[in-house]
Amino acid sequence: MSRSGFLFPILLIAFATSLGVTVLIPHAQLGALTPDFKEEDGLVSDVYPNVPGGLAEVGRQVYVSEGCQTCHTQIVRGGDSADVDRGWGSRRTVARDHVTEHTPVLGALRLGPDLSNVGSEKWRNEPSDDPYKPAKRDASWHLKHLYNPLAMGEGSIMPSYKHLFLVRKITGTPSPDALQLPKAMSAPTGSEVVPTPEAKALVAYLGSLDRSHPLKEAGKATAATTPKK
Amino acid sequence: MTDAVADKAQIRIPAPDKAAQLSAVDRAQIDASVRPLVLWFFTTGLLWLLVSTSLAVVNALQLVFPDFLGFSFSNFGRLSPVASVTFSYGWCSMAAMGVAAWLISRLSSRPLIGKTVATLGAVLWNVGLLLGVISILTGKMSALTGLEMPSSAYAVMLSGLGLIAMCFLLSFRNTGEKVSIAAMFVIAGTCWLGWSLFAGNLLLATNGVNGVIAQLVADWTNSGFVWMWLVPVSLGSAYFVIPKVTGEPIFSGPLGRGCFWLYIFVAGLTGSARLAGGPIPVWLSSLSASAAILLLVPVFGSIYNLIASCRGSRRTANSPSARFTLFGLGIFFSAVLLNAVGSLRSVHYMVQFTLFDSGVAALVLNGFVTMALFGAIYFIMPRISGCEWLSSTLISIHFLGAAYGTTMGSLMLVFSGLASGAALDAANTSFRQVLEVGSSYYWGRVISFILVGLGYAAFTLHFLLMALRVGQPGGEPTLFRDAHEH
Ligand code: HEC
Repeated sequence: MSRSGFLFPILLIAFATSLGVTVLIPHAQLGALTPDFKEEDGLVSDVYPNVPGGLAEVGRQVYVSEGCQTCHTQIVRGGDSADVDRGWGSRRTVARDHVTEHTPVLGALRLGPDLSNVGSEKWRNEPSDDPYKPAKRDASWHLKHLYNPLAMGEGSIMPSYKHLFLVRKITGTPSPDALQLPKAMSAPTGSEVVPTPEAKALVAYLGSLDRSHPLKEAGKATAATTPKK
Repeated sequence: MTDAVADKAQIRIPAPDKAAQLSAVDRAQIDASVRPLVLWFFTTGLLWLLVSTSLAVVNALQLVFPDFLGFSFSNFGRLSPVASVTFSYGWCSMAAMGVAAWLISRLSSRPLIGKTVATLGAVLWNVGLLLGVISILTGKMSALTGLEMPSSAYAVMLSGLGLIAMCFLLSFRNTGEKVSIAAMFVIAGTCWLGWSLFAGNLLLATNGVNGVIAQLVADWTNSGFVWMWLVPVSLGSAYFVIPKVTGEPIFSGPLGRGCFWLYIFVAGLTGSARLAGGPIPVWLSSLSASAAILLLVPVFGSIYNLIASCRGSRRTANSPSARFTLFGLGIFFSAVLLNAVGSLRSVHYMVQFTLFDSGVAALVLNGFVTMALFGAIYFIMPRISGCEWLSSTLISIHFLGAAYGTTMGSLMLVFSGLASGAALDAANTSFRQVLEVGSSYYWGRVISFILVGLGYAAFTLHFLLMALRVGQPGGEPTLFRDAHEH
C-alpha cells in the first residue's frame, strides 16, 4: 500500500507557511495603508500620493511597455545605502509611496540611475561637487535624452528611443516641438525631429516622479537633501 | 526494495539482477509508452532554449552597442524579459516536465495515465507562453518584475499545467517501502508550481492587492518558480540518475529525506530579500536573508549525500549523465553560497540591484537546473529510443561549451555586479564611472553566450538524431571515453 499519503499534507503546510509569512502577513500589515493627507475643518488637503491620472498615467504605461524598469529602479533605500547621498531622493521610499498604484514599477536592476524622484527639482545623478553644472532636467532635456542618450552625455548605455519620435520634412513653419539636437545628431536639413504623443506622455510621467513629500514612517529627510546652490 | 536495486539492470551490469521487480521487457514497454509525450516536452523545450539563447546573445550585445537591433519590439527593455521567460518557462519547465513524466512512470512501474491529456496540456503551456512573449514584444508587459507576462498568458499556461499535473498525480504510485527521494522532489515541485502560479495570479487579480504587496506577490511566485519547482525537479533527477549510473543505492536515505523536508520549508521563505532596505517591512527582509543562510544546510546535505553516493564508482567519471549532473551540483553549491553571502546585510546593500543577482540566478538556472536536466535527458533518451547516443565528440562539445560558457557568463555577471555595486556605494563616484567599471565585463558575457550557444546547438542536433533513432546500437552506453570496466 502507498505510504505517500503524508507527503501532501506536509507539503501543503510548507506552502501555506511560505504564502502566509511572505505575502499574507505583510498584506495584513501594509494592506490598509491609505494616502497621507491633512484634514482641517473637514477639508482634506495635501493628499499624497495622488491617484495617478491624465497624461502622466498614459506615460506610465509607455514606461512599462518599453521596459524602462529593466534598467531603472524606483526604490530609494535608506540605512547605510548611498542612494540619498547620490541625490536620488531626500528620503527612503516606503510602502505608502506606492499605495495608489495597482502594480508599482519598482524594477530590480540599476543599469541606470534610480528614477523615484527624477521629476524633482533636487534630483541629480552627479556628485554634489561635480565641476560641470548639472543640467536642469526639463521636458525638452528628457525628450532629447530619450531620442538619443548620447546627445546629453558620453558613455551612456541607455538605448535610444527613436521609435517614439517622428522625423519629418518641415513644411511651412518648423514645429515648436522640434528637438534642438547637436549638429551631428540632428535630422537632415529640411527635416525635423518631433516627439510622438507617447514620448510627450512619457516625459510627463518622468516629470511627475517626485516622492519627496515627507512621511513620518520614512524618517527625517537627511542633510543631503538640501537644495543645491 | 529500493528503486536503485530494482533498476540495477538498467546500467547493464553483465550479470542480470534477479531481484529486479520488473523484467527488462516490462520496462521497455513502459518507456515506449511515454515516448511521444516525453519527446514532445523535450523538443519544444529545446526549441525555446535555442530561441532564448539567441535572444540572450542579442541582449548581451545591446549592453555593448545600445542601439543594436533597437526596434520598438526588440529593444533592451523588452528583449531582456523575453529572453528570461523563454528560458525558464520555455526550456527549463518543458525539459523538467519531460523528466518528471518519465521519472513518474518509471518510479510507479507503469505507463502514465492520461498521456493524451498531458500532451494537450503541454500544447496549452506552450501556446500560453507564446502569447506571453508576443504580449511583451508588442508592449503589453506587466510592471511587476518577475511576472512580466500578462495574466491572460498565465491563465492559458495554468490550464495546461492543470492537465499535466493531473496526469502526473494520478499516475504516481508508490512501489517501494518508502516513497523514493527522487519522487518526493518531483511531486513536491509539480504541486508547488501549480499552487503558486495559481495563487499568485489569483492574488494579483484581487482588488485588495496593490502597491508594494503586488510586487511581493510577484517575488513570491517567481522565487517559488525557481526554488520550489525547477530546483526540486533537478535535485529529484540527480537522486534518480546518480544511483542508476553507479549501480549503488543512495548514500543515506534518512539524510536525503531530512534535507528534503528542511529544504521545502526553508526555500519557501527566501523570496523577499530582494527589496531589503526598500518599501517592505524590515522583519520580512531579515527573515528572507536568514532563510537564505539556513538554506545552506539542506542544500549542502543533499549535495553531500549525492556526491557520497558516487564514491569509488568509475562509471560516474565517464557517464555523460553523471558528469552533467555532478557539474550542476557543484555549480549549485557555489550559487547557494553566493546567495547566502549576498544576503548578509552589509554585502547586500552593495550588490542589491546590480547584476550580481542575475549572476546568482544564472548559476542556478543555467548552471544547475539546465545541466542536471541535460544529464537526465542523456539518461532517458537511449531508453525511449532504443539506441545509444551517436557521438561522444558531440557530447564533449556540448559539455565544454555549456560548462565553460555558463561558468564564465555567470562570473562576468557576478564580477560586474560587485564592481558596479562597490562604485555605486561610494556616493562620490560619478555615475559615468559606475557605468565604466560595470561594462568591462559585458564583452565577456557576449562571448560566454556564444560558447553556451555552440554547446546547446551541438546537443540539439544530437537530440534530434536520437529522436529519429539515429544512434549507436543499444546495449553499451556512449561514454566520454571508451572505458569498459569489465
Ligand atoms: C539598457 C538599460 C536602460 C534602459 C532600458 C533605459 N535606460 Fe534610462 N538610463 C540608463 C543609463 C545607463 C543611464 C545613465 C546615463 C544617461 O544619463 O544616459 C540612464 C539615464 C536615464 C535618465 C536620467 C538622465 C539624467 O541624467 O537625468 C532617465 C530620466 C532615463 N534614463 C529614463 C529612461 C526611460 C524613460 C526609459 C524607457 C523608455 C529608459 N530610461 C530605459 C539605462 C537604461
